[in-house]
Formats: sequence, structure tokens, C-alpha cells
Amino acid sequence: MIDCDVHCAPASMEALAPYLSDYWREYMDGAGIRVLGMVGAYPPEAPTSATPAAREAPGPAVPSSYEALKERVLDRDAPTYAILNCLTICEAHRNPYYQAALASALNDWLRAEWLDRDDRLRASLVVSTVDPDDAVAEIERLGDDPRFVQVLLPIRVDAPYGNKRYHRIYEAAAKRGLAIGLHAWGRAGHAPTTTGFTLTYLEDYLSNPIIVQTHVVSLVSEGVFTRFPDLRVSLMECGFAWLPALLWRFDKDWKGVWREVPWVKERPSTYVRRHFRATTAPSHLPTAAPRHAAELLEAIGSDWLLYASDYPHDHGPSAQVLHDALDEDAARAVLSTSAAAFYRLATEP
Amino acid sequence: MTEIQVRERPAAKEPRTVKLVDCDIHPTLTWHDLLGRLPHRWRSHLERYGRRTPIVTEFYPRTSNAGFRVDSWPEGPDGFPGSDLGLLRQQLLDEYDVDYGILNSLGLLSCHEVPELAAELARVLNDWMWEWIEAEPRLLGAIVVPYEYPELAVAEIERCAVDDRWIQVILPDSAEQPLGSRAYWPIYEAAAARGLPVALHTAGYWPHLDTGWPSYYLEEHVANSMRMQSQLTNVVCEGVLEAIPELKIVLTESGVAWSTSLAWALDNAWELLRDEVPRLQHRPSEVIREHVWFTTQPIEEPDDPQDFVRMLEHGQLTDRLLFATDYPHWDFDSPAQALPPSVPRDLRRKILAGTACELYGLPLARHA
Repeated sequence: MIDCDVHCAPASMEALAPYLSDYWREYMDGAGIRVLGMVGAYPPEAPTSATPAAREAPGPAVPSSYEALKERVLDRDAPTYAILNCLTICEAHRNPYYQAALASALNDWLRAEWLDRDDRLRASLVVSTVDPDDAVAEIERLGDDPRFVQVLLPIRVDAPYGNKRYHRIYEAAAKRGLAIGLHAWGRAGHAPTTTGFTLTYLEDYLSNPIIVQTHVVSLVSEGVFTRFPDLRVSLMECGFAWLPALLWRFDKDWKGVWREVPWVKERPSTYVRRHFRATTAPSHLPTAAPRHAAELLEAIGSDWLLYASDYPHDHGPSAQVLHDALDEDAARAVLSTSAAAFYRLATEP
Repeated sequence: MTEIQVRERPAAKEPRTVKLVDCDIHPTLTWHDLLGRLPHRWRSHLERYGRRTPIVTEFYPRTSNAGFRVDSWPEGPDGFPGSDLGLLRQQLLDEYDVDYGILNSLGLLSCHEVPELAAELARVLNDWMWEWIEAEPRLLGAIVVPYEYPELAVAEIERCAVDDRWIQVILPDSAEQPLGSRAYWPIYEAAAARGLPVALHTAGYWPHLDTGWPSYYLEEHVANSMRMQSQLTNVVCEGVLEAIPELKIVLTESGVAWSTSLAWALDNAWELLRDEVPRLQHRPSEVIREHVWFTTQPIEEPDDPQDFVRMLEHGQLTDRLLFATDYPHWDFDSPAQALPPSVPRDLRRKILAGTACELYGLPLARHA
């Protein structure tokens, strides 16, 4: 089994201090900057932020040490691999130099305190999303470490990810065989809807599956896969039930206006099926209509889905609906073979 | 509601069964004609200072023929698609034997004006559409309102709704606030009290929020369905559909198929987080099922036509679809070809006419 979305985060800025220069340590100390755990995206008491078991465990619900992760996830599930996503970068500010420094510190922390401890661990490379040049520099610095399997890009950003300004990042990633990992949430300064910030957490939470569709459409329409034909993109914590409806519309619209985007040479759905994969949590399947869930999964195809525990987050009972709807072959694809092929991970020792 | 006058229909020999209702036709009052109909004070204001909000076509140019059917341009230097009733009759109503067609004017889908001007623009557009409706018995109207000023919007609904040929109120899919906001509830209440559905139409005011601007029209066009997903989520969560039980919402030109997975996501989230949204008392999928209709154009087109029927079944949408052509836009849907071949005959009849007749209270037979 390959777990494609497991969270970890430093419990405090002190944990990152060894990986930051004197300048940034003083800057953060003076400004009173703390690691808050993305309280907007994951309010500590919200039912979605942590499973009951994660809540009862000592320390923060998001594992802040390898020991906590081992006890709560690795020993429990015995995955062949687990991919760590550290979202602390989303707490960075607009200051591009600070964001680049924090990204580097988080990656060094991931290497020294996690990846070096266990051969089963893999991670997403944390990069700045404010300045693509800084992201490229970080990919050049650490992207050849095979334990980084993808570049982490949170979905709430300044522009849709197909935009030309980001192509430098894809070039650097593709050169090293790294995937791109789009993850739910992102910078707190970005409103999730065209009418601004939502009044409720529920709407904010449900904006992730909508926003991620914008990026899927953008990456295909703006020619990223024509320029980088080997690039792979994972969609994490953004659901997947929206896929068929999106592709039906995207193909139809492209048929009407393809002249505008002549670099899109195949049907959009062909690119989406070939280059993208989505993680299974949240699954957002109907809990009372198992046949509808099964029909939807057949339309999506089990090879498009990557299993994720999304530890410690809790998206409710529809994970079980997904599990029940898969036959043996489909379950194997979702649990391991799709991810092994996508991330080019060996499943035999 | 004694003030409503039921239109007297001229007696004819034999009534014909209503077979086709077009729920999304776009008439255009040209800028020149619009100015000519405004009082001097506002005409001069617009001539001197123009409007502040951009038009989305200015930064996402349509790839060919400016986004309209090639044949929809009337002759003459001032001709503009949708501005000529004769051409609309010939190309749409007569050509396809349309029994009823709903005029959805997009002329005030950005209401970002001072209140007096916003109210004048709505009045001018409605008065102009009324001339068409009086001249052409097959046409019905959607009331344009200055929605950012709800008291003025309600007054405009009251002014128009004395005639039953105004069959709905139209709002854009993005306003200054999300559409479930209490600010707009007086509009929903006024419409529901008169039995008028409220159409939310795509391509509204598009503030520079969320994930920033895409680069191409293709992206902007697909995003129409994403924007409506956010708005429907908000309308459901704010509880307006439960607070005003008679309210009916018609999501127009934003697609249909996405609503199934959105309803599932809403149900999932509601089960976990319902204490946060106490006004949302019922399962979101049931609320949507009860209150929300969809127009067809641009209908999603799966490779396997059976997937379309399956989607309708998953979303319980078989009696919630309203046929629309979107005349005179480039992606016009012909009633003969738009629906997938997998749609059974009875369902096809409902989509083409039956559901609209029921929703809008239109007679099932009409005197030709």
C-alpha cells in the first residue's frame, strides 16, 4: 500500500531554527512569527481537522515528530511508502525572501528529521509560490534527492497554474522526473470564490474541489503538457467525483474554441486522463446510494485514483463507500499500483 | 394577488400542444438605442463618463465572429445580434416552431452603478423587452432588476409583475456579495410571493478574487460552471431556500452535470459540519432537488450518451431540466440536435416543454 497524502508539520518555529540563518531567526523572533497550524484551513476543533484517534494522541494532531508518525500511521497501516505533505509553507507571508527561506528550512527539516529516519518515507518538495524563480532554485538545490517525489503547490495562489509564469517550475521538475502535487488550501490571503471570502468554514472547505478544477483546466489550456509531455500532476485533498462532468464540458468547449489554443492538440480529457491523478480523500461519494458511487467510480477509472489516508484529517464515512465499491483489481490499483507507476516507486524491495 | 391581470388570449380555431419552450434567449438593446431611451441626465452621464465595470468579452475575446452565430447579425451598420425582433422570429421562433421563448437580457448583469442609474437601466431594458413581448405573443420576459439596491429591485418587480408574461426575475451568477446573502433576500421574497422563479445567469460581474485570472476564453467558458458551483453552495448554506419555501431557482447557461457531485460533496460536508450552518436544516441534496432547476445549453456531452441519462438519474434531475438555445450566441443549441440520442422520448418531451410549462405555469396548449 502506498499512502499518497500524510501530513506532518513542525510544532513550533523553534523546531525550524537549526535550518534558518541568523537573519531569519531574528526576523521571526522580532515579528513574533509562530507556526499556527493553518488554523483557517484546519480549525483545531473542526470535525474535519482530525480523526478522533488523532485527537486523542498526545501532542499536535498533525505529527510533528517521526516517532509520532511511526506510532500513529506507519505501525498502524504498514504502508510500503508514505508521502509527507508539509503545508506549513502556506503560513508564509508575501515577503518573497522569507517564503524562499522558509521553504528551504522546511525541506532541510524534512530530510534530516523524517526522510533520513525511515526508508519508507517520501515527501513533496516545499517551494515558494510567490516567486517562481525561487521555486526553481529550490528544485535545483534538492530536486535530485530521490526521496522528494513531487513539488508541492497549494491551490490558492495568485494565478491559475497553467499561467506562463509557472512554466519554469514545470521545466525544472520535468527535467528531474518530479511530479507536481497540487494540494487543497493555500495562502490565507486568497479568497476562494469570485464573490470573496466565505462566511462559513463549510463553504471554504468545499471550495477546494471547485478551485482545483480551475487549475486542471488551466494547466491543459495553457499548453503545459505540450511543452512538458512527461509532466505528471497529482491532485491532493480536492476530491475527484467532479471529474466526469468537468471533462464532458471541457471537451465540448474545446471543440468550439480550439483555434484559440492551438497547442492543445488532443482532446482535453486525453491530457487529464494521461497526466493527472487524484487522491482518494475526501471522496465525496453518496453515502446512501452505493450503486451511484460504483457507477461514478467506473466512469473515473480506478487507475486515476491514488489512495491517501490524509492523516490526521477526517472527511467522514464516504471513505468507506469508496472502499466498498472497489473490487479486488480496482482496490489494488487504488491502493498501490497506480501510485507506484505515477511516482515511479518500486513496489518490490 | 388581485392586481395580476391574466392576459386574454385571442380565440383561435384549434389550440396546439406546446412542444418547445426556449428558456434562454438573449435580446440586445444596442448602446445607441439604450442611450436614446434614457432621461437626459443619465444619457449625458454615460456619454461623458462611461461605465466602470469591464465587459468580460473585452479581456477574453471570443475566438470567431465575436461570439455570435454568423447569421445573426442584422443588416446595416448598427445591427447587432439579438437586436432585431424580425430576425429573431425568422431564425428562432419560426424556424424551430418555438411555442414560448424567454427573453433573458444580459444588459444589467453588472449592476455596479449609482442607484438611480441602475434603476433607470432596469426600467429601460424592461420597457424595451415589453415592446417585443406585446408584439410577439410567443415571447415571455425575465425582469431585469437593480439587484444591488434590493428596495429598488423590489419596486421594479412590482412594476412589471402586473402582467403574467413576465415569468421570472433574472440575476447574474456573481454580484457584490454571494447570492445567498441576506442583502438579496427581499428580491427572492418578492419573486416568490408572486410565483416568479429567479434565474441566476452565467457571465456576471467577475471581481478579481479567487485564483486570479486565466489567460484564455476556453478557461473562462469552462469556469462558468465552477462559478455557479460556488454560488449554489452559498445559496444552499445561507438557508434562503428553506426560509422562503416557495422560492424556485433556475441556474441558466452554467451546465447541469456538475450538480450531482456538488450535491454529494455538500451532503458529506453537511453531515460533518452541520452545526456551523443551522439555517440549513435539510440535507443539501434534498434542498437542491426541491428548489433548483437547470437550463440545458451548454449541456455537457459525454462520449457515451448513456452516461448523460445516468447523470440525470444520479442527480434526480429528470424533471429539473429546461431546454434552452442561447440564441444568438455562437454555441447555440438546436432543439433537434442538442439532447443526446440516449434521452428517452418521454423525458425529451419534458425537457423540451413539459417541465418549463409546469415551472412557469404556462398553458400546455396554445392558440397558434
